[in-house]
This record gives sequence, structure tokens and C-alpha cells, in this order.
Amino acid sequence: MNLINREVEDFCVQAYQNGKFMEVDKESLLGHWSVFFFYPADFTFVCPTELGDLMDFYEEFKKIGCEVYSISEDTHFVHKAWADASDTIAKVRYPMLGDPAGVLARQFGVLVEEEGQALRGTFVINPEGKVKVYEVHDMGIGRNAQELLRKVQAAQFVEAHGDQVCPAKWKPGEETLTPSLDLVGLL
Amino acid sequence: MVDNASVPSQSPLLDEALQGQLKQILAKIKEPVDIRAVVDMEDKNSQEMAAFLRAFCSLSGYLRLELYGVEEASQVPELDTTWLPVTGLYQGGAYQRVAFHGIPGGKEINSFVAAVANLGGAGKGVNFLLKKKIDKLQKEANLKICVSLSCHHCPGVVAACQKLALLNPKIEAQMIDARLYPDLVERYQIERVPFLIVNGQDTYMGNKTIEDIVELLNN
Repeated sequence: MNLINREVEDFCVQAYQNGKFMEVDKESLLGHWSVFFFYPADFTFVCPTELGDLMDFYEEFKKIGCEVYSISEDTHFVHKAWADASDTIAKVRYPMLGDPAGVLARQFGVLVEEEGQALRGTFVINPEGKVKVYEVHDMGIGRNAQELLRKVQAAQFVEAHGDQVCPAKWKPGEETLTPSLDLVGLL
Repeated sequence: MVDNASVPSQSPLLDEALQGQLKQILAKIKEPVDIRAVVDMEDKNSQEMAAFLRAFCSLSGYLRLELYGVEEASQVPELDTTWLPVTGLYQGGAYQRVAFHGIPGGKEINSFVAAVANLGGAGKGVNFLLKKKIDKLQKEANLKICVSLSCHHCPGVVAACQKLALLNPKIEAQMIDARLYPDLVERYQIERVPFLIVNGQDTYMGNKTIEDIVELLNN
């Protein structure tokens, strides 16, 4: 099953951000780029490393008009408790969504039903609410926020300029390329 | 003018097989096309282009070549000599607003041949509705298309801009092999091609059809 270009369905969940509780729904995603960053559970080992890494690049994501949402199958209260208990999570400034009913994880196909946890799925959503990039890792395999930033930038580039573009890396003194004739459509 | 005989009559860019293919295409030309170029004969790229043009023009009796040295550039003031070598297409003594900066090797041979063939009456032209839209473009537009010779998307945009220029006297199309002009790459921070610059200001990336460009010029 392929999720590319699928529109996010309506949802409304509780979130924790910067010491406050708030609601996040589908409307909140429209008009800007978004990253949905699923992880298995609060109070685990790999997750704070990944969330900390994501926090290190949060300003960069904001600069390119992209909001980051982390999501686990915990409640927003547990997110707060984790932020109170962990120095790394205390520094997180992006919204941490609570998905205890599995509404979002099920919608994105990352819920492991018997464990009630989400796989490490990352989804890049465009300002119209459509999935443009995604990757899903098994539980123990971590992700790289810098690489994610590059992917968001690439998705934004293609949205702005189309995909018929070649990277140009000129080196001084390069020889002129031998002509290759193909006039189809040009005359 | 530079004496054509002082330039090598063959170019390593045009081997025998390619010359044969080009002769077939150029055989369909029905009207003379004049090619005028400003070359700096001290410079390797200009020497390469001069030889290419001489070899190319020998493939059809309808093609005439005039080479001008840098000090003679005032004889062809319509050509933009900021980036040499520059080659312009002419007909009946008039500049047809299609120019090439650099050497059209690699994929860009295609836009060069297409422009010459289209000007020589060997092209298909555009459909009636599109022609009307092109005729209606009133604003002066200078289109610089920065390319890389290995880019397979580039010749399409270049050819589209050139067709517009050939059909509408207010439009000029300049193909620029950005590899040769680091100042241009630096000024516009060009990292990807095709890179279209309209009137020195607005920039666009990616492949575009002639319809896309007409729409863009209308905005």
C-alpha cells in the first residue's frame, strides 16, 4: 500500500508543547509543511536520542516553513511527565502529540496493534495536507534529522520547480562534451 | 572580420557519422541562415567554437559564416559580448534574436541544430492557437537559459525560448553554457539547470514547454 499523495484524514488529538497542553487537528497542518515523527513510546532509550537530534535541527525546519510533530501512543500527560523527568525531552520545543487511541498511527499504517506502539515512521506532509515523503523503520533503527531536513527541502524544491531539473556541478577546465543528437520534439 | 580560412575546417566535435546525420537534417533547409559570431581567437573556447562553426556551416550551402574578432564586435552591436564566444543567427541581414554563448556540444547540439533548421524553414512551426498567443506578447523579453551540456532537460527549454524569439520580434533567447562563465553562476547562485533568467531578474528552474513560457511571460 502506497501513501504518497494520500491526503491526511480528519483527526483531533491532544498535544504537549513547552509546558502547555493544546489540541492539534488536520486544520493545523494546512498552509505549511509538516513532519509527523512517530516513535514507539516515551521513557525509552533510542527515542530521546532521536527526539533530541530532531530538536537540534528544529530551528532549521522552522526556517523553511516546516512544523515538526512527534507522535507516540502515550497521552499528552505522559509526554509532560517525560519532559519533567528527562533533560533531553525538557529541551524539546516542537509539539508532542498524544495518540493513545492509535488514531494517527493506524491512519499512517505504523501501529503495531499487539504492542500498542508505533513503528519509527516519518511522514513529510505538504501544505495541502498530502503525504509527499515517508519512511518507516523497525523499532530499533534510528533516524537522522539532518537527512530528514534535506528530504523536506527536496520535496519543497520539486513542488516549486517541478522534477525536470539537473544538478549542475561544473569543474574548471572541463572539456566540451561530444554532441549527442536527438531532435525529437524540437523542430 | 576573421578570415574563415584561418580557422581549422574540421572540429573534433563533429565526427564523420554526426556530419552525415546533420547533412540529412540540414538538407531540409529552404532559406539561407547567416551565422555571425564574436570570438576571442586567443581563447581556447572561442577557437573551439570557431572550428565547430566552420565545420558545421560546410554541411549546407544555405549556411554562411562570419567571424568577428573582439576588436570588431562593434560591427555586430546586437550581440551580447559579455560572455564569449557568442554566436547569433541572422536572416536577410537581420539578427533573429537567437544567440548561443559557449559551444553547443553534448545535449545542446540539439537546440543549436533546431534553431538553425527552424530559421531555415525546416521546422514544423507551432499550431494556430499558440501562434496567436505568441503574437499577443507585447512586452520586451530577454530570455537567458543557463544550461549544462549534459542536461537532458535543457535543450527543450532552450528550443522553446528560441521558437518564441523567432516568432515574436520583442523576444530574444540566449543559450548560455554556464560552465564557461563562473561570474554568471556566482551572480545567480546557479546550482541546477535549466535555469531561466527573464529580463535579468526573474529566475525559473526546470523544464518548460513553450506554452509554460508564454504563460510565464504573460504574468
